Amino acid sequence: MADLLGFGGRAALRALALTLIGVCAWDVGTASAIPAFARKYATSCQTCHSIFPKLNAFGVAFRLSGYRMPKETEEMVKEKPVSLGAPAYKKLWPNAVWPGEISSAVPLALNVKFAYVNTSALNGDGSTATSNHDFQFPQELNMFAAGTLGDHISYLAEVTFVENPDTSVTVAIEHANLAFDSPFGPENLLHIRIGKMMPNVVDGFQEMQIMTGAGIDSLFAYNPIGPNGGTGLAGDASPSPIALPVSVRGIEGYGIIKHRAMWVAGVANGISPGTNGRFDGNNAKDVYARFDYKLGGMGLDGDTGGQKEIPAQNWRDDSLRVGAFVYRGDGSHINFPFTLADGSAITIQDTHFLRTGLYASLYVRDLNVIAAYVRGNDTLSQFDEAAVPLAVVDATYHAWFTEADYVFYPWLHGAFRYETVSNGDPGEPSLRTAVFNASALIRANVKAIVEYRRDLRHGENHSLNGVMRFAF
Amino acid sequence: MKSNLASAACLTGLVMIMGPLLVHPGAAGSLITGTVKASGLSTNAGAVVYLQQAPGTFPPSTETMDQKKMQFIPHVMAVVAGSTVKFLNSDPTPHNVFSPDNEKYNLGTWPQGQSKDYVFSKCTKFPCAYTQLCRVHPEMEGFIVVLQNRYFGVSDREGKFEIKDVPPGSYTVGVWHPKLKGQPKPVVVEAGKSAVVDFTLAR
Repeated sequence: MADLLGFGGRAALRALALTLIGVCAWDVGTASAIPAFARKYATSCQTCHSIFPKLNAFGVAFRLSGYRMPKETEEMVKEKPVSLGAPAYKKLWPNAVWPGEISSAVPLALNVKFAYVNTSALNGDGSTATSNHDFQFPQELNMFAAGTLGDHISYLAEVTFVENPDTSVTVAIEHANLAFDSPFGPENLLHIRIGKMMPNVVDGFQEMQIMTGAGIDSLFAYNPIGPNGGTGLAGDASPSPIALPVSVRGIEGYGIIKHRAMWVAGVANGISPGTNGRFDGNNAKDVYARFDYKLGGMGLDGDTGGQKEIPAQNWRDDSLRVGAFVYRGDGSHINFPFTLADGSAITIQDTHFLRTGLYASLYVRDLNVIAAYVRGNDTLSQFDEAAVPLAVVDATYHAWFTEADYVFYPWLHGAFRYETVSNGDPGEPSLRTAVFNASALIRANVKAIVEYRRDLRHGENHSLNGVMRFAF
Repeated sequence: MKSNLASAACLTGLVMIMGPLLVHPGAAGSLITGTVKASGLSTNAGAVVYLQQAPGTFPPSTETMDQKKMQFIPHVMAVVAGSTVKFLNSDPTPHNVFSPDNEKYNLGTWPQGQSKDYVFSKCTKFPCAYTQLCRVHPEMEGFIVVLQNRYFGVSDREGKFEIKDVPPGSYTVGVWHPKLKGQPKPVVVEAGKSAVVDFTLAR
């Protein structure tokens, strides 16, 4: 949207977009609380979540282990699976189909979100638009299917339904992936995922592991593309530029080494959509990698051997986890239209982009502090309307966030988040946002949230949302 | 010979009431009992506990393994070498029986009410475990364990087992399970006394 109006009104619109995206970011889903697992294991949501969807250390281990309990045994699974072949058929392969299992009950779960929305946004002409007391009941519904298919295969699918104000409904496949878990070698050393998924390159600082509900726009919704570098958030631009991806279509390998280290390597489509019905914007593939290490607390695979004392409180995990990640993309031949201040139209290609970053999560009793930093470098090639090259700009932006989550009572948590982006365009001021959150569990699967979000540069941009979520 | 816990319980009763009047030479308290703990499994059933070697010769028997409600019944059966197992189909749908183990066999497929026999006479190193599978219904699975002697028992859901009529002597008691493993244990059986052997099985 800002691209179409040139430089003149962009600053204010950028601020508006910040708020709007902030509201919309509630809809940017990642894998959430999945009650299908509560039924399968006959256990509470709080086994894996401090307050859903935020995972505790056990929940992290459960997810990374391929949706299995650490050191899972048959007696832990209360909902007995249906055999798709006796185990002895393994002896007959390749003259028989390798045996598998499916759950005896359809592993479906629903997550419903109601929102009471109040927003204020600065318009391009300097006026302020407000929208108060809007009952978005419901705002969205997520349907999950997740589980295991025998010893070494797991899956996750999530479809989100969003009812729009004009009564139309937006349906999106948020996740649909199949994983081969420990197909060979030591347990958890190798998992291979294929499909549409949250890439583990951003594990630890997205919805499942932070308390605040709004997406971290500075990391995930930043638009790095502009004549002199990025100037603000991406909005709903198509094709969609990449800061860090919330989800990818691709193939990923990851694993856990000696309980404490995690490696990730993946290949993904990259900027999308493409033309002629393609999901990928070009033939090149993006690649990413990450390495993490956890000191103290529960092992990343649920191992408790390194703990002197296992805390009774499910949210405690005195530990420090640090990680470094890299994402490299190729946006050649993917055109982003842009209108300059003089009215001339150009296209920009993000021919090479590199994101390097650091992540840390510190648990000290009832406090969890999470932080991530990203350095984004983009090689931006400009072309005129006749596709004649005009210029190549090398732009770098810096984004980081930190969030402190605190457990006041097992049912009452609070959070504060600060995030900022130093734009790739050096002439544009930084974006800074603060988020306050209070979350209360009414039941283990029913949550009430009050969240206030404020643009620290333009105070006219703010939102105050009340949210009710329940999962079943 | 198939393990039958119901008759074992009956025999225990006879011992208590009639005591020394029993004619059977091994019945005067020559009983091995115990419990099998199948670590990590939801049931302790299906472990075959047996004497690895016992003196004497043991006549084969004829037993029946049913295919009923899409299951092999019993799920685990132990027999003496040379015994015949009659595979009965009690379901309205055709069933097949084959085993991928040891000498391997495929008895074909037959309808409700019919049965086919197989003689387990080729086992040379006891115990010989034969997985029973049905090509028509790949989820079906049963086990037949061929042993050197008739002194064995199969654990129930609680893990309890009994081996009856054991002559006095020193033996090694082994245990076989479809999924888990356990170490053999020595036992001394004295006339008129019961011996207790417990096992904990693990992967």
